[in-house]
Amino acid sequence: MRWWVAVAWIEQLIREGEKAVDEVEVYFVEGTSVSADLKRKKLSLATISQDCGLGIRTIHKGRIGSSSTNDPGRWQECLAAAVASGKLATPQEWDGLPGTAPLDMAPLSFDASMVIEPDSAKKLLEPMLEGATKHTAEVTSGSATLSSMEVTLANSHGVRYTDRNTSVSVSLEAIHGQSTGYEFDQAWSVNRIDPATVGERATFFAHESADGKDIPTGEYDVLLSPLAYAELLGNVFVPALNGRNVHAGRSRLANALSERVADPMISMYDDPLLPGADGSVRWDAEGSPTRRIDFIRDGILCAFAYDLKTASRYGKKSTASAVRGGFGGSPAIGHHNFVVDGKRETVDDDRVVYVHNVVGAHTANPMSGEFSVELSNAFWVENGEFQEPIRSAMLSGNVFDLHHAITGLSHKSRAIGSLILPSVKINKQRIIGK
Amino acid sequence: MHGISYYDLRHVTGEITHIEIDNAVVESAGTSLFNKAILRVLVRSGWGILQIDNYTPCSGTKFDELLGRAARLAGLTEEHVVLGDAPRGMLAVPQLKENPRDVSIEEKSALLADIENSANKPQIVNRRASYIERIETVRFSDSSGNEYSYEMNRSGFNILAVASRNGNVQMGYEREHSINGFNLRHQQESGTKAADIAVALLDATLAKGGKMRAVLDPELAGVFAHEAVGHASEGDLIQEGNSVLNGKTGERIGNETLTIVDDPGIHEFGFDPVDAEGVAVARTEIIRRGVINAFLHSRESLAAVGNGVAGHARAMPGEPPLVRMSNTFIESGDSTTEEIFAECKNGIFLKGSRGGQVDPGRGIFQFNAEYGYLVENGECTKMVRDVSLSGEILTTLHGIILCGNDRQMSPGYCGKGGQSVPVSDGAPHILLNDAVVGGSGVD
Repeated sequence: MRWWVAVAWIEQLIREGEKAVDEVEVYFVEGTSVSADLKRKKLSLATISQDCGLGIRTIHKGRIGSSSTNDPGRWQECLAAAVASGKLATPQEWDGLPGTAPLDMAPLSFDASMVIEPDSAKKLLEPMLEGATKHTAEVTSGSATLSSMEVTLANSHGVRYTDRNTSVSVSLEAIHGQSTGYEFDQAWSVNRIDPATVGERATFFAHESADGKDIPTGEYDVLLSPLAYAELLGNVFVPALNGRNVHAGRSRLANALSERVADPMISMYDDPLLPGADGSVRWDAEGSPTRRIDFIRDGILCAFAYDLKTASRYGKKSTASAVRGGFGGSPAIGHHNFVVDGKRETVDDDRVVYVHNVVGAHTANPMSGEFSVELSNAFWVENGEFQEPIRSAMLSGNVFDLHHAITGLSHKSRAIGSLILPSVKINKQRIIGK
Repeated sequence: MHGISYYDLRHVTGEITHIEIDNAVVESAGTSLFNKAILRVLVRSGWGILQIDNYTPCSGTKFDELLGRAARLAGLTEEHVVLGDAPRGMLAVPQLKENPRDVSIEEKSALLADIENSANKPQIVNRRASYIERIETVRFSDSSGNEYSYEMNRSGFNILAVASRNGNVQMGYEREHSINGFNLRHQQESGTKAADIAVALLDATLAKGGKMRAVLDPELAGVFAHEAVGHASEGDLIQEGNSVLNGKTGERIGNETLTIVDDPGIHEFGFDPVDAEGVAVARTEIIRRGVINAFLHSRESLAAVGNGVAGHARAMPGEPPLVRMSNTFIESGDSTTEEIFAECKNGIFLKGSRGGQVDPGRGIFQFNAEYGYLVENGECTKMVRDVSLSGEILTTLHGIILCGNDRQMSPGYCGKGGQSVPVSDGAPHILLNDAVVGGSGVD
């Protein structure tokens, strides 16, 4: 029923827009989310959030205009703003918005049984707090969030797609003396998260990292957890695969197609149709049908990511990599389920510095790849066991170069946002002790 | 009604204008509209919160219905939130020198293009300039009858220049944001400067990590104050037990020359005429002459923790208020820059900021400079790149041995709890003893 109500004004918007411009695209999102937040161990805040966003793009003789609002009742103003915006844009080569494709419309990351009620969020906190009692540490804060969203994409070439998705996340922070621990979990279905383990791991790291010992400055073999690796990969490496950055001269990988950019054991790909993954979608934020893109195969750089705008401008094809940030944002190049893969093995037999998380990865140099970050919850690990904790130190290096020094990928992978990563073992990395 | 002991409503409407120019191509330019509200309710309980997109102001039964929904949420909570008393009142919003509304978007675009073009120099492979203007109308009311409304206008630009030579890619970045009105005129030197830095960095060497004396420029020293002290003094973190400054009021943390302040009332980029829960804003001396003096608070954290000043609750439109910094700075001391470099003698001079991060519970922070120079015999010599600093809150501040007399503020944004708010940070030049410098250079 709601779909048809939505269509009425969206159809009208497209008809109205076509009077002024060649092509019109409408992206409309409506969602509800609920959350329950802990202050220490007590539920101190319960929230219901109702969000909506309308993003309009217009294309006229290669000039792309856009505008957005979270008030769909003002679509006429928003359309006028998009058309005005197009008049300012520099005209570019433009291959047109996509038409309809015969896509299966069954959602890929939607749990129809998820109840978006504050009580459901509250219920997730209980096992998490129970799990947290396994180790001696104080809970400082925590949160559980459930949300559901409906996305509608329509354009003047007849595309009328809707998708629904759900998501659930829990997180907990703990402290023991001056040692902190943090853990989280996320999925599209409540059955796929494990709040008790989140609680247990948060207090485990807080407790076990206390009384850490200093480490002398030097070169060490390092094991980055998926969380620590995600920080470095997401801030530096992934943006360098973005076609717009590549053609604009903002990527160190710009001239490296067909070259070796990582150890031959490493492959990286975006698989938007990965069963069970949170970011799975059949069409991207511009309506292009999604497919797997292999960026790096056995260490060799094979492809970059494109949306329609960048692809048209540089004579490429869209890789269906368009995503939108927030409600009603403009499309930009991103990814859906970004996977680092390769031969798996046991990576924690030999003595190695295990890094659970890092502080300050966003300050890395995204052009050159240089970084130096503070370690969080670092330990000596040997024979698969946590040995003594490391108190405080910095890890310095270059995100691009370290991919040549990877010597092992762990058996298990973990989703960190839209990145699905193993733990990676890297030889001879520089650690600066205190 | 519904047993409600307190409510407040913060409704923000506005428009955002942006222009982005990338290598002389106007990538996008235009205006977007938004309308967001948040209703918070206490029923002798914790908070029940409704976040409402596209809110239409209402009263009577309709508003009562919203209160009822929020009250039911509050009923799920387990904590009894107490609100501290705090002074009320609103400062005047500064007059705009030139209202961005009076300038056409075509002219804005042309001025931004001038800045972008001024970065067009040999070896520069990419220039990207962005302009952003946010005009917000804020309306606040609460169950105690307090009502405030005001309009804030924030605008500014940034320019990124990327230099490349033989696979070596470096960047220069300049930005300027203001609450005092349109600021795109006569700014071409920002583009030139970004380009010059990017090109110079092609020949800079990687910094070598280790412990050394460091001189920090006002921008980076401001980020240092923000990361090393500001976050750990936020009352909500103290209340959760997640700050190393918890219970340390009155203890010495630095030497006599060190005073660190947060003041939402000064006319810098983090200015708020009144805070997000309707409390009058006030200057808070977090550290006074080296001693931990006062925490930043909301009404809730003030009642729970004490030792500080409310008026530091801030929020993005439609989001719950959090205890936040606004304009955070190290007060000027009496050293001249020459004295600071002479006293440093041999070490490193760090300039500009690529941001930072802190774990306030652990008391560990990290932040990154845009570039630096080696200091040899009190003189700046070789340029270095990709250099960061880390430290421990409780010990590193003792290392600030000299504060200059030349405080300057720099605008930026600060993230916390998924919300990004405008802030400014500042300091004079400072000299830091035993700084832990990170960099991947080796001998």
